[in-house]
Amino acid sequence: MGAKKNDILQGTLVLLILKTLASSKKMHGYAITGHIQKVSDQLLRVEEGSLYPALHRMEQEGWIKAEWGITEKNREARFYSLTAQGRKQLNQEEASWERLTEGVARVLRFA
Amino acid sequence: MAWYRQIWNVLRPGRTQRNLERELSFHVRERADELQAAGMSEDEAVRDARRLFGNYTSQVERTREMDINGWLDSALRNLRLAVRALVKTPAFTTVVILTLALGIGANSAVFSAINAVLLRPLPFPEGDQLVKLTQTRKQSPFVAPVRLEDWNRLSSTFQAISGWYAEDESELSGELPEKLSRALVAPRFLQVLGVAPIIGRDFSSREEHFGGPEAVLISHRLWLRRFGGNPNAVGQTLRIGRSSVPIIGVMPASFLFPGRDVDLWSVSPPDAPYAQSRESTWYTVIGRMKLGVTVEQARANLATVQSNLGNQFPKTDAGMGVSIEPLKEITVGGVRQSLWLLFGSVTLLLLIACTNIATLLLSRAAGRQHEISVRFSLGASRASVATQLLTEVLVLSLAGAALGLVMAAGASRVFPVLARDLPRIEEIGLDGRILWYTLACAIAATFLCGLLPAIRGTRRSLAGSLATASRALVSGRNTMQFVLVGVQVALAVTLLAGAGLLVRSLQELGRVSPGFEAEHVLALHISSNWGETSDFKASHQRVTRILDGLNSIPGVAGSATSVTIPGVPVNYQIEVNTAEGRAPSEPKMLAESRAVNPSYFATMRIPLLTGDLCRDDQSTAGMMVNRSFADAYLGGSSAIGHRLFQPGNSFVVPSEIRGIVGDARENGLDRAPVPTVYWCFGGNQPGSYFLVRTKVAPAALVETVRRKIHELEPLRSVYDVIPLSGLISDAYAENRLRTILLAFFATTAVLLACIGLYGTLRYMVSIRQREVGLRLALGAMRAQIVRQFVQQGLRAVLCGCLAGLAMAEAAGRLMSGMLFGVSPSDVLTLAGVTGIVVAVSVLASLLPAIRASRLEPMQVLREG
Repeated sequence: MGAKKNDILQGTLVLLILKTLASSKKMHGYAITGHIQKVSDQLLRVEEGSLYPALHRMEQEGWIKAEWGITEKNREARFYSLTAQGRKQLNQEEASWERLTEGVARVLRFA
Repeated sequence: MAWYRQIWNVLRPGRTQRNLERELSFHVRERADELQAAGMSEDEAVRDARRLFGNYTSQVERTREMDINGWLDSALRNLRLAVRALVKTPAFTTVVILTLALGIGANSAVFSAINAVLLRPLPFPEGDQLVKLTQTRKQSPFVAPVRLEDWNRLSSTFQAISGWYAEDESELSGELPEKLSRALVAPRFLQVLGVAPIIGRDFSSREEHFGGPEAVLISHRLWLRRFGGNPNAVGQTLRIGRSSVPIIGVMPASFLFPGRDVDLWSVSPPDAPYAQSRESTWYTVIGRMKLGVTVEQARANLATVQSNLGNQFPKTDAGMGVSIEPLKEITVGGVRQSLWLLFGSVTLLLLIACTNIATLLLSRAAGRQHEISVRFSLGASRASVATQLLTEVLVLSLAGAALGLVMAAGASRVFPVLARDLPRIEEIGLDGRILWYTLACAIAATFLCGLLPAIRGTRRSLAGSLATASRALVSGRNTMQFVLVGVQVALAVTLLAGAGLLVRSLQELGRVSPGFEAEHVLALHISSNWGETSDFKASHQRVTRILDGLNSIPGVAGSATSVTIPGVPVNYQIEVNTAEGRAPSEPKMLAESRAVNPSYFATMRIPLLTGDLCRDDQSTAGMMVNRSFADAYLGGSSAIGHRLFQPGNSFVVPSEIRGIVGDARENGLDRAPVPTVYWCFGGNQPGSYFLVRTKVAPAALVETVRRKIHELEPLRSVYDVIPLSGLISDAYAENRLRTILLAFFATTAVLLACIGLYGTLRYMVSIRQREVGLRLALGAMRAQIVRQFVQQGLRAVLCGCLAGLAMAEAAGRLMSGMLFGVSPSDVLTLAGVTGIVVAVSVLASLLPAIRASRLEPMQVLREG
């Protein structure tokens, strides 16, 4: 697969997708990868192999919903958007992420 | 929340797949566009985009897994595979489905009867609160109207108590007198049963009092037949006997109480002057307990009530008890044993069918070792292969169950034809419970048939050794197949032994010498009602006139009347005493009581042993006793001259024993004669039988007899004209039916077991062809080959027989109550059963054995 940029930590992909969708109205899968890469200054790269299973699982969980639409280039794509439930989930995941990073940071400081 | 969508996605796999591919290919195209924009050529860009995306198919697959219900998906895939595999072997599939349909169908059919008759509550609201009340000790179980009213008034555990007696009436508004059965009921009858007329109303309180207006409720059946279902029937009148009675209502079609032949219900007022004796024996009593009251509480309560009545009316009520039984128990208790027996036998049958199929499946699994080992080598787990094999069996079971359900539905129509007198037979039918039961049967059958083959068929060692096994000259011993054959034989022997014992009982019953001659006797009823019995003289004259008329018919050798008929189970036990009294140390004189007219003994050919025949003029008050009675209580022939009376029943005048007659099986062919007294005043009460001894076949005289009686009594209907032997055999119809059914099941079981044996041996022969060919080539005699295979089969059969005999012994003891004249371990029956099974098994194993011995050694060896 060549040199990987930073692989996304297991479990954080969902948080990133939720956050991405929270900032805009509707996005297709390709745009989501682009957005994450751009916003993270190319630090994070989303693997297609995990993106679509994650999107579909989140859809089944009811956090996001999907509908078919047309892109600017007049192509058919599946657009995802956040549901109310997804917004709640985002809050939770953000909180637990902050707890995690803070915890890890403290451990690193003391060790 | 999305589970339904996941299931939905499984059910339309094509669409799910298409959508996924649309979505993912969009991604690849976008990426290619981007790469192209960065300066790649179009081809390069597309190739690179694909490479970056990874394995496209597996991406689709992984994403798809998120969208679907994995369990359902694999179940459906298994199902598709199973159906495909089964369609490829149509003969096997058909045989298995038919076998299962037979097993499950018979099971569901019998269960539908058990469900309707034994399990469901009676078809009355809160039917479990209904009980039957009988008075115990002294005279008859039938209760005087005044006592019934006392019970109803004084008890605290009952919502209401009522009662009924039935009589046959001539309804005269049609062209010919029509016999209708009428129930005369105590007040509160419908209230106790909790049923209301569908049209019209219940009896008013004025109608429940003496001197009030007359009224009758009619059955749904009569309403349809006579009034064409017109609601105007209410208000019209029926001519019953001498009176015209207005119809006040129509009962629902499902209301068949107290009997399915009752068409009319009227009230018998408890305050009528003729109903005031505490000694009259009228009512069969039913009561509705208050909600929450148990039968025990009701018993205790009524015991107190009756003991108070005993103090108040010492002459009539002292020492009397009340027995209370659930009405359902009284209604269906008699057939419980037969039904469970049948259920047991069809369950055995189903077990045999399953075992049979298990052997077939073992052979099939062995034949599919190649397919199974290929799956293993492609990475399938043992569980998934076993699940696949079980799914095939499930498909077979469900198909069999569906077909079985059709059979059961047919059977529920046939039951009423076969067993007319089975209580609640009209309630048998398919309902939700039967469906669930059949489904449960199918699932149980799946595991019974499929589990063993699934486990054994997927052993890796077996599958792994496949490559060598097909080339080996001597194959494994396949013990399991023979064990299964043995199990089938054991179960079949058990069933056949049970059927054999019942058949022998019926034979014994036919061989019994009843003490009377039932052949050449015509039995019939002539309508009359209880009101007429008040004029004893007139009714006596009428009976005499009819008997004289019957005797004048050419071809008639004699005639008589009797309240009951001999040979049919009827119990009417009473206590009698001698007029001079007996010492307290002497045993109580308990006797079956029969009311007949004097010519009864000559007509039924019951011999007069000592003394004279009684005469039927009331002044002489004579009676007869049978030999058992005389020997048991009065020292044999010295009994003559004693005067007997029935304590507590002043309606029966003390009568003198005039003679002793031979013992006859009065209360049932299957019961030894008991001490019996014959009161010589029978015949004038409603429902009495007229018995006509004929010189020719009794059926030939039916019309002549009818015409003669119509000549003498134009206003009375003649009904139920039937040869006595037919009546007796009807009384044992249930015995016969269960014997026939059990014999049928047993035959099927033996056939199945033999097919199992045959199939197993054929399979053995087919996998040992090379071994047999080699031995033949080396000079083995063909007879040796035959003997070897037959021996192998018979060893299993004999072990099965031994186990079966042990089980038959136990089963025989369970059903000893149904046996007559044979012991549960009757050697002849058991030996016969074993003989039959062994003989049929030899036949079943000879065919494949001979086939084996006819193999052409060179051909077989070359082919291998």
